[in-house]
Amino acid sequence: MSSTSNINKRKGVKLEVRDPMSFTNKFIVLILSIFTGLFISFVILILSGVSGSALWKEFVVYIITSEKNLSSVLIQASPFVVAGLAAAVAFRARFWNIGIEGQMIFGTIAATYIAINDVGPEPTRLLLMFIAAGFGGVFWILLPAFLKIKLDVNEIISTLLMNYIAFNFLLHLLYGSWRDPSTGFPNSEQYDVSEILPLLGWQSLNFSSVIAVFLVIIIFWLFMSSRFGFVLNVLHASSNMARYMGIRVSLVILIVTIVSGFLSGICGFLVSSGIESRMTQSFFIGFGFSGILISFLARDNPIGILVVSLLFATLVIGGQSLQVFYQIPFAMVQLMQAIIVMCVAASEFFIRYRLIFSL
Amino acid sequence: MDFLIFWLSNVPGFATPFALGVLGMIICERSGVLNLGAEGFVLVGAMSGAGVLISVGDLPLFALVIAGLSGSLFGLLFGFLVTILRVNQVIAGLIMVFLAQGLTSLLSRNMDWVNKPFEGLSKLNTGIFSEIPIIGPIIFQQDLLVYCTLLFYLVAFYFIYRTSIGLRLRAVGENPEAVDAAGGDVILLRLLAVIIGTFFLGLAGGYFTVVVSKIWVDGISGGRGWIIIALVIFARWQLSRALLGAVIFGCIEALIPRLAAIGFQLPQYFVLMMPYAITLLVMVWSNLNPKNITAAPSSLGRPFLREERN
Amino acid sequence: MVKINQNYKIKMEKITKSFGDFLALDDVTFNLDHGEVHALLGENGAGKSSLMNVLSGIYAPDHGAISIDGKVVKINGPSDARFLGIGMVHQHFRLVKSFNALDNIALTINQTSYYSEKDNLRHKILKKMDEIGFDLDLDSPVGLLSVAEQQRVEILKVLIAGASIIILDEPTAVLTDEESKGLFKIIRFLASSGTSVVLVTHKLKEAKEFSDKISVLRNGKLVDTIIPGKLDDEALIKLIVGEVFAEKPQLSKNFGEEKIVISDLNLHRSNHAIGLTDINFKIREGEIYGIAGVGGNGQAELSTVLMGLTKLNSGSIKLAGYGDITKFRTDQRRKCGLVFIPADRQKYALAGELSVADNYAVAAILRGDLGSWMGVKKLGKQLSTVEAIEEFDIYGVQRLNQNAALLSGGNAQKLVIAREFSSKPSVVIAHSPSRGLDIKAAAFVHRQLLAARDAGAAVLLLSEDLDEIMLLSDTIGVINRGRITAEFASPADRQIIGKAMVN
Repeated sequence: MSSTSNINKRKGVKLEVRDPMSFTNKFIVLILSIFTGLFISFVILILSGVSGSALWKEFVVYIITSEKNLSSVLIQASPFVVAGLAAAVAFRARFWNIGIEGQMIFGTIAATYIAINDVGPEPTRLLLMFIAAGFGGVFWILLPAFLKIKLDVNEIISTLLMNYIAFNFLLHLLYGSWRDPSTGFPNSEQYDVSEILPLLGWQSLNFSSVIAVFLVIIIFWLFMSSRFGFVLNVLHASSNMARYMGIRVSLVILIVTIVSGFLSGICGFLVSSGIESRMTQSFFIGFGFSGILISFLARDNPIGILVVSLLFATLVIGGQSLQVFYQIPFAMVQLMQAIIVMCVAASEFFIRYRLIFSL
Repeated sequence: MDFLIFWLSNVPGFATPFALGVLGMIICERSGVLNLGAEGFVLVGAMSGAGVLISVGDLPLFALVIAGLSGSLFGLLFGFLVTILRVNQVIAGLIMVFLAQGLTSLLSRNMDWVNKPFEGLSKLNTGIFSEIPIIGPIIFQQDLLVYCTLLFYLVAFYFIYRTSIGLRLRAVGENPEAVDAAGGDVILLRLLAVIIGTFFLGLAGGYFTVVVSKIWVDGISGGRGWIIIALVIFARWQLSRALLGAVIFGCIEALIPRLAAIGFQLPQYFVLMMPYAITLLVMVWSNLNPKNITAAPSSLGRPFLREERN
Repeated sequence: MVKINQNYKIKMEKITKSFGDFLALDDVTFNLDHGEVHALLGENGAGKSSLMNVLSGIYAPDHGAISIDGKVVKINGPSDARFLGIGMVHQHFRLVKSFNALDNIALTINQTSYYSEKDNLRHKILKKMDEIGFDLDLDSPVGLLSVAEQQRVEILKVLIAGASIIILDEPTAVLTDEESKGLFKIIRFLASSGTSVVLVTHKLKEAKEFSDKISVLRNGKLVDTIIPGKLDDEALIKLIVGEVFAEKPQLSKNFGEEKIVISDLNLHRSNHAIGLTDINFKIREGEIYGIAGVGGNGQAELSTVLMGLTKLNSGSIKLAGYGDITKFRTDQRRKCGLVFIPADRQKYALAGELSVADNYAVAAILRGDLGSWMGVKKLGKQLSTVEAIEEFDIYGVQRLNQNAALLSGGNAQKLVIAREFSSKPSVVIAHSPSRGLDIKAAAFVHRQLLAARDAGAAVLLLSEDLDEIMLLSDTIGVINRGRITAEFASPADRQIIGKAMVN
């Protein structure tokens, strides 16, 4: 009987939908795929002429053993965290905010306006810059949000096009009236001491880390506990059900984009006031891209965003050393991020489906 | 009059990469695969074309073919992710863009291709025809790929609307279950569509370096991949409207550098902003007409899996 | 009982198919004779569709053998099945809506060249249509054709491909009585010319009337194969459900005030799609107003307009105690006590990737019952869900944070009803609330609707199942092409209502 019973079994490979995996198993798959991505990246680096031991030192040993490098990682991580939050907040309502960089630019333009025109008394300057940066970012996301809500214009393309427009506007300012008068370079004049985020007293670590952690806590509360967070969960899971239950989807998208734009603007402020002390023409590069990938890897979880941001910041700091000592182009860092995310995205296949081999 | 002729004679050169890119996108998306990675495929094509000219030699047509093929090779990865591994097509598209940005930057620097000018593809010598007043410069003083593009459109039209496999391609984007029930291989069809589609996107990228800029720098496509995606929506996934959209956009792009010539003074960076602002306007205009939204292939972005319960 | 025939057209032996832990087919043996119409009866989830999906190559069985004309065959996919002459007309048509009928049929057959053979194909189709007495427009997009016409396209697809075995999956689910009769005439004609037909259905009546043999499936097992007429209805039902079961609800006796008054509703839709035209009716407290009609005649539009999900062009909706609510948003209408059970529960009423508790508690949380804006009360959410699961007898919940997608159709619907009835509703709008449910679950849904009615709610029941309407309604309206064309007080004559549905 058993000899005939298999006669209809298909040869080769077939797919079957798995029962949902437990959280622990999902987590293990996630970690494994991140390591697969790192492994592929390191193979590329080794092929580019960096020795394995050098990679170990630059990405692990020097980061852990040097206080200076560790603080660099933490400083670099802060804007990553905020960019990741900005992407995550929008994505909870299925709004793909690819325009984080454009919003960072307008946030920083607004903050820099406060700084170079010395608006308000010095003690409140940073607070004013912070608020201005947030609203600068909001300003730049409102049009795509409005077009999405009213006309269903694809926000991926519209926010991206807004990046290019913002970038050219930034160049217009930096090659025009905002050029640094003292050096003639196309960046803004340096911020005053009262316009730079204060140090915390350990290495060069500054207030941007505090802001980042504070925002993580706020967003964590928003997502995990508040009623609005619950509404976002419903909307994320099924916009149809949200509508049928009486959730005002357009209003939620508007609120969410405003928060996302605000965070993006803050992200720009953290880079310019926390790292570069001025507005340069490249301060934003890579953050929009990283923000989306970070929130994707962290599954929109604020704590996860914190952890992944530290990983990405480590890659950046390690990548900077490779650039200096091994002439590896900095684009390698972007490539590594993309490869890691590709591995994680591909791993979802194994979370969802079971492969069945029959010969 | 001279202004007009000069302007119009520049239009085909500006329109061609858009026409090629939109053609590739339509082939890809007609099969139901949402391709947000256009910018990435364009970049890969652009770098490969430049790379061939710098490292292999002055073979512009060969460089263009390689540009297309490298687009396809990269498209194979994309196709694998979305059709076989069923990765979310939005995420997969974005990953392709990010991957391409990193990869082209790394590779071009490792190979030392950055900022190296080359000969590239020049205008075709049509002899006596190019001397014809008015239509000479506009129609007969163009490069070979401009004419090839028209040929590609004719072939694509025949392929999509007249052949069995074209029929299946159109069907698989609308209702893959129908094709599956009819004995067609949905995955294979989509994979093929992605590979052919990304060939044309790579070719469009190759055009930017081999024909237009004749040099490679990082991110040379400058967001034109995204403009191509917007044009697909404008074209309602139809070839005739795609060609029209590309020509209109070519007219605008060709006009921008000429604006100063007619005494239209605008700050430089506002001029550079214009293609993106206009694309945004085109998207708004496209969506004002509800027909355009419903024109998308019904199963665009939806992965296919047969063995699913219910 | 059935005569032994060694020369079956098809023999399916000991077929087993499982999905994860779920055994869809358990050792099923099914034989099909030449030129017979063989009905496959059973409840939803009994395994009828799974068995036919195995035969048509869509599912690969775990075990078992299939032979055709005495030869063992392997069916490794739909194309193999087609090659063997097996054609399936799915319940949900596999049509490309934007293509015309001709292109849809062209898609099915392996032509070397599509365009040059188009005329040939057209002749072939016209000839076939003539032969079996079909009438069909080959040139308009099939999306614009009526459901019955779309089904004809599906049948033609199968016939042109040269099928000698035709499987029809619930073919009458979307047809009117009249259209069904036409279909069975054609089925009988095909059988008389040698084609073997499998009729998958859950309707006892048509299985008895139009088939030569009936096989009954229950819980993935083939219970018996009988000749129609040899068993009475009660015995047959017992085979299908395992027990005898009949619903006999009471009509409402105490109507209250007019609860909701709908006047002159108009909804225009583009592309000649059916909207709503001059809809007028009212529902009293303690009344079930049933709207009968063939699917797609404006039921979905009417229900969503009443919930404020679709904007209407003109007309008014008045609710006792609130006045004119025409301009109210969905959330405001829900606050007034309107609740909604949409037809497609997986798509509109539940979020499959959210937990059972979230799906249940969403209504209460949005009402503000569970915590403030600062924080949702997690414990309250869990406790209220546990209560609902007990009260509404929802099976299959192992953990409260388990995804709602894992619930079966009946239990998913119970969850929806539990949620919608968690605040005492004043108006219930239920669209095909028992669609796809087995007999027991459907009876449960009906009891809930009756209980809501008896508690004083005004209930609007839109259903394509005339039996359900007849069973529950106190007043019956008929919707046809977006108009209420007739209204009857219960009990009304089934024939007359049926006529009003199609005229």
